[in-house]
Amino acid sequence: MALIALKNIYKIYNVGGEEVRALDGIDLSIKANEYLAIMGPSGSGKSTLMNMIGCLDTPSSGFYQFEGEMVQEMNDDQLASIRNRKIGFVFQTFNLLPKATAQHNVEIPLIYGNIRKVERIKMAAKALEDVGLADRMHHKPNELSGGQRQRVAIARALVNNPSIILADEPTGNLDSKSGHEIMGILDQLHEDGNTIILVTHEDDIAQRAHRIIRLFDGKIIEDSNIINK
Amino acid sequence: MILLFIESFHISLSAVFANKTRSMLTALGIIIGVVSVTMMGTLISGLDRTFENSMSWLGKDILYVSRYEWFGDMEWWEVRNRPRMRPEYVDKVKERSKYALAVAPVMQRGADLSRGEKKTRTEIFGTNEDYMETITTNIVQGRFFSKNEDRSGARVTVIGNGIKEAFFGETDPIGEYIKIDNIKFRVIGVLEKQGKFLGLFSVDKQAILPIGAYNRIFSKRGWMRLSIKIPENRIEEGVDEISSVMRHIRGLKPNQKNDFAINQTKAFEKNYNTLKLAIGGTGTFITLLSLIVGGIGVMNIMFVSVKERTREIGVRKAIGATRAMILGQFLMEAVAICVLAGLIGLSISYILSILLNQIFPSNLDLVLAMFSILMSIVVGVVSGVIPSYKAANLDPIDSLRYE
Repeated sequence: MALIALKNIYKIYNVGGEEVRALDGIDLSIKANEYLAIMGPSGSGKSTLMNMIGCLDTPSSGFYQFEGEMVQEMNDDQLASIRNRKIGFVFQTFNLLPKATAQHNVEIPLIYGNIRKVERIKMAAKALEDVGLADRMHHKPNELSGGQRQRVAIARALVNNPSIILADEPTGNLDSKSGHEIMGILDQLHEDGNTIILVTHEDDIAQRAHRIIRLFDGKIIEDSNIINK
Repeated sequence: MILLFIESFHISLSAVFANKTRSMLTALGIIIGVVSVTMMGTLISGLDRTFENSMSWLGKDILYVSRYEWFGDMEWWEVRNRPRMRPEYVDKVKERSKYALAVAPVMQRGADLSRGEKKTRTEIFGTNEDYMETITTNIVQGRFFSKNEDRSGARVTVIGNGIKEAFFGETDPIGEYIKIDNIKFRVIGVLEKQGKFLGLFSVDKQAILPIGAYNRIFSKRGWMRLSIKIPENRIEEGVDEISSVMRHIRGLKPNQKNDFAINQTKAFEKNYNTLKLAIGGTGTFITLLSLIVGGIGVMNIMFVSVKERTREIGVRKAIGATRAMILGQFLMEAVAICVLAGLIGLSISYILSILLNQIFPSNLDLVLAMFSILMSIVVGVVSGVIPSYKAANLDPIDSLRYE
């Protein structure tokens, strides 16, 4: 069974009396442990699709099944809960809390998941270790390099042991060396059995994935598997 | 849920401390509010104690009959023409009243007291043997004078504790002589120490003489009052009866107004309560005003805080914070500002009450302190609820994009 199944998804905005179809009949299914890249020019709907998959947004019509749960019927709190338990976000701009230490930033999803402090500290330390930041746990974001910040963000995405990791242009704000490191970590996570969905407009980044989806005007125009990986 | 509560508390404290100056300026109104409500309470309870202490010297069962009302709105010309009280009223009242248990005339004037080189200016009182029953002070050394000493014009005196200390120190004053306006009096008793009446003047520097000697040596005229003791459970009847007895003595016709005043400690209480109400009213007004201003300040700063942290809210929502959690976090922040302000206010009040204690008894009341903290919490909740609600309902996608 598919981990994620989107059927006939539409997202329609009304801008100044004009109908804008951000997503125009999307059918997509993603299995566990896939490594998927979503590509497309700006305005193609890839952000909207990512928000949809990430349960930040709900479709105007269509069906979205996440591990068998019907997402389009969920209320805000249920969506928050599914984001908390099943989805790990990695953003282009890292989006760490500037005043909190790396350790605390990674703990936040666990706090919202209502996990006890002792356990929380252990899990956060483990996640930071996994991304190679065991020695930077008590640093604040402004004491870390861009690459290190993104690694904290990955640790935060990982810590809840989510079903998918959703990375939106994860190397967009990094120099190429840090970018390679980050991609290396994502590759490793995939090898460890995680499902990774990457949103990017850079071809060489997308080439690391095993499946590439191209969007244009809210429609999937290409869905290709890269076999020899 | 407790976890979240602790976490919210933690987040909010760090947010408050990250903007110390801003938070404290915001909270100034609440600091003032807490100071004013606690100081008002401290002042009133201090006054209460002073007042009760002072009032205990005036018996509740004593009527003070004199020319003037203690607290009256009578025009001075009406009062001025009233006849004086006279010493012979004592026997007349005793004869006609069935409620009067004791009737003491009290005349008063200033005089120079001396013993050898030691001199002091003080008040002297002329009265009769009933006097001790109309006051709550006791004799601590010697005795009060008798009816015979009064009638015979004996030159004896009972002195206040202050005079005893000034003239005799630790030595026994009984049987010794002092001079009052250069006339020798024998000391036969000493009154117990009392302190200051309403914190205003000491009553320990006084000398009490039999009215017989007082009239002969000093004057028969001059200010005088009657202190009349009546049964404690018959005050109203007593007042009515003494009033009619006095009217009879004065020979007033039914259509004539009283030309004397019957005063009770109740009159003090009434005036004191008015004063207390004024202090309470002013204090409450200042408190409310500063809390409203403070509350608006907190609300404003919370709106700013929500705006500034839009992105943070977006991130928190993306990683699983529900609306209630975001609401709680910001509400807690508003409450934290207010409670910190409350604690600062309490510290200020505490210091002020210690300073004030030098003047009259005042202690910061624990219940009042807790009330003011509760009040701060309420202000925090009320002023934080709208900004927090706004934060909770932000759209996560828009907030994440917010620059």
